[in-house]
Amino acid sequence: MRASLPRVSVIGLTALAVFLPLGLIFYQSMLNAPFFMPNKTIGAGAFEFIFADSDFWDSFKNSLVIAGGMVLIAVPLGGILAFLMVRTDLPGRRWIEPLLLIPVFVSPMVLAFGYVVSAGPVGFYSVWAKQILGGVPWNVYSLTSIAIIAGLTHVPHVYLYSSSALKSLGSDVEEAARMTGSSPFQVARDVSLPMVTPSLLYSGVLVFFLGFEIFGLPLVLGDPEGHLVLATYLYKLTNKLGTPSYHLMAAVAVCIVAVTFPLVMLQRHLLKNAGKYVTVKGKAGRQRPLPLGQWRWVAAAIVALWLFLTIIVPLSGIALRAFVSQWGEGIKLSEVLTLDHFRTVFEQPTLVRGIVNTVLIGVVGGALAVACYTAVGLTTHRRNDGWARFVDYLVLVPRAVPGLLAGLAFLWVFLFFPPLAPLRGTIFSVWLAYTVVWLAYGMRLVSSSLLQVGPELEEAARSVGATRGQVNRHVTLPLIRFGLLASWLLVFMIFEREYSTGVYLLGPGTEVIGSLLVSLWSTGGADMVAALSLINVVLVAAGLTIALRFGVNLHD
Amino acid sequence: MKHIRKAMLGSLLTLVISAPLLAQAQVPAGYPANYADTIAAAKKEGKVVIYSTTDTASANPLIKDFQSLYPGISVEYNDMNSTELYNRFISERAAGGGSADVLWSSSMDLQIKLVNDGSALAYASPELPHVPNWAVWKNEAFGTTYEPIAIVYNKRLLSGDEIPQSHADMMRVFTQKAEKVKGKVTTYDIEKSGVGFMLITQDSKHNPAFWDFVKALGAAGPRFQSSSGTMMERISSGENVLGFNIFSSYALLRAKKDPSIGVVYPKDYTLVMSRVMFASKGAKNPNAAKLWVDYILSKRGQTIVANQAELGSIRADVEGDQTLAGLTKTLGATLKPIPVGPELLSFLDQTKRLEFLKHWQQAIKGSK
Repeated sequence: MRASLPRVSVIGLTALAVFLPLGLIFYQSMLNAPFFMPNKTIGAGAFEFIFADSDFWDSFKNSLVIAGGMVLIAVPLGGILAFLMVRTDLPGRRWIEPLLLIPVFVSPMVLAFGYVVSAGPVGFYSVWAKQILGGVPWNVYSLTSIAIIAGLTHVPHVYLYSSSALKSLGSDVEEAARMTGSSPFQVARDVSLPMVTPSLLYSGVLVFFLGFEIFGLPLVLGDPEGHLVLATYLYKLTNKLGTPSYHLMAAVAVCIVAVTFPLVMLQRHLLKNAGKYVTVKGKAGRQRPLPLGQWRWVAAAIVALWLFLTIIVPLSGIALRAFVSQWGEGIKLSEVLTLDHFRTVFEQPTLVRGIVNTVLIGVVGGALAVACYTAVGLTTHRRNDGWARFVDYLVLVPRAVPGLLAGLAFLWVFLFFPPLAPLRGTIFSVWLAYTVVWLAYGMRLVSSSLLQVGPELEEAARSVGATRGQVNRHVTLPLIRFGLLASWLLVFMIFEREYSTGVYLLGPGTEVIGSLLVSLWSTGGADMVAALSLINVVLVAAGLTIALRFGVNLHD
Repeated sequence: MKHIRKAMLGSLLTLVISAPLLAQAQVPAGYPANYADTIAAAKKEGKVVIYSTTDTASANPLIKDFQSLYPGISVEYNDMNSTELYNRFISERAAGGGSADVLWSSSMDLQIKLVNDGSALAYASPELPHVPNWAVWKNEAFGTTYEPIAIVYNKRLLSGDEIPQSHADMMRVFTQKAEKVKGKVTTYDIEKSGVGFMLITQDSKHNPAFWDFVKALGAAGPRFQSSSGTMMERISSGENVLGFNIFSSYALLRAKKDPSIGVVYPKDYTLVMSRVMFASKGAKNPNAAKLWVDYILSKRGQTIVANQAELGSIRADVEGDQTLAGLTKTLGATLKPIPVGPELLSFLDQTKRLEFLKHWQQAIKGSK
């Protein structure tokens, strides 16, 4: 089939948006100075430097430990949670469900800061613990704690995939097991979870991959004891030599991509094969919640504990910190309550612009991004030619690049790619970077809507002589409009939450809350960080509430 | 032809418009008579673009006063951190697009590097006679503030002889009061913070027992942070109790609102840093840039620097507690200003920097 002009131009633009920044990173990694300086030369010096740096290996090891720990925590917990929520008569399922998703949509920067304030050595909860127990039995700054917190906050990712897999299975096998005397725990372990092994495996790889790129949590929690992971090591290189060492940063990025890209490919492979495993299906659709009996309250306690540790502890910390002028041992909180932080936030034009931009990038930018994703999605819709396969892989590429570096690469693109140069100081630069970084996620949302359109409807239009363009405009798009609305909401929340991609793009006019948080954190405006974090959480919560009211299926 | 006519008309119009304005913005007393030309040219430029590490809130009084002094020149003030400022400027210069007219940063060494690389406009400001010699390099880079570097502690948790009074005294507290301060001493992570690195290398010059000091610090289980703000947040909460190499300008500002923060100027020597400013050689608005530099160094500007921006004045004729004049009275010869000049470049040399970092890490770990 001949490729049409609109199709080729959409694919071409996408390829440009993906490969230009990525190419710059690879090119930069092979130089010994910023690529725009006249004195640069080609060489492997950057790799030699980082491979000789013990910090690199330490952070590599820490990344592996954290990613591994996250898998060990998130996969079993996520699986059990999915089983409890989907399969059993757990009390309070309806209101727990939206809470489960909060960690997905709240910026890890915010969560990490929340943990410092509430569970740090003199945090609100630590001080209580000290009064009751005489000491603080935990240390949030240790590597183990970082891995545990990261694991707990990634439980929802596993939950999302395994619960949607569980929903598609009938419950008769489980009932049989329960009737022959198995405890609910045995049912979960021996029957339900094995049936969704492919989803668990897939989400395991996903969590490992996310663990490898994790930035916000170790940035905040790793500082006091000096625990580095690859992404924070990369961030540290900005200053280590006194002047910017872009070549070193690019070399680290290439190392990260060398690990993450195969993982992305593995995920794709697992996802494709997931369907093949589901052979033992019960009678389709018939599902009855499994009575938990006396285990009900044990199960509820597990869920409640997880909710408490992952959501209530950090968010209550943030909320409290936003309204007090000081905190810590020996401070009576009732005496230091204040609204000053919010007043200061709204007095600073930069921060106000940041809030406005964040809303804009979520609402308008989210809509535009969904439009772009839809355009890309339509280029592969109902096609199976070389172009479609190319796009399939293309959209996965940006997923492998850590947001921090993708942002830096986009800064270079906006500086040195003349057609885009005039847009550098505008929020457009941030939007483009976000849209490309979240390409894979957005494409999954859009293509799952596209797949729901019955092919016969489009074929009917084709058979009466409509062109592909007309079919798209008059049949496909109107049919998926609700799916697109839902995608818009999800992209809105993801864009509100994003923080690392904007860090290097941050400048007058391009402020967003996420990157302001990173910047304010590193310059030490803790009051502002707390207030802005709370504002960010409120924005995300608004998105989540609307999504739930409209009945958006959050299970992609 | 049309263009030329338009341009001529334009300049005529400017002449007509600026004539009454000129009367308002008089040449400051003691300035050369031809300064009026600079003012006129600056008005024609209409704006000045500033990249700065001083946050907008502190700089606002200066911006407002400058605009009332020179109506018609708007100030585009962009605050960012020092690395960002440096990166932005060099990449924008390389890309050939517009960049800042004036750069103003607390990272003295990076500023000197930019000047050394030929980024600065040579300009003998008429205010130079009032600025100390150590704060001026080659008529290109100018120190603009006077900010002592202090020890900060938690007033609720430390008292009496637990509060160190000097660098030597800190060593005593690290070892003799270990039960109070162990794991609770904080300072810059010198690998992450350029300013922190600069300050510690200055310490290495002034503190005769520097490496012993670092070893004692290592034994005290230091907590490194990337900014003075995070340090003070943790000192205030009690998570840490003692911090050093913190800008007193920030600490005093916080201490005003936060009763837990105590500030000590070390008695053996107190480093003083000064935010370095220069006008860019490639400035699009060079005349407005000159006006801004002159204004910041002028008595009028420095009075606001000291009293409203709370950064400390570098001029001897500006009175106040936090000015060169006031501090010299109280601290005298222990004040050690970091000279604005090429000495700052030595530790930007990669090999030397990495060597220092390695030595530092070994000393910190050495006695663990």
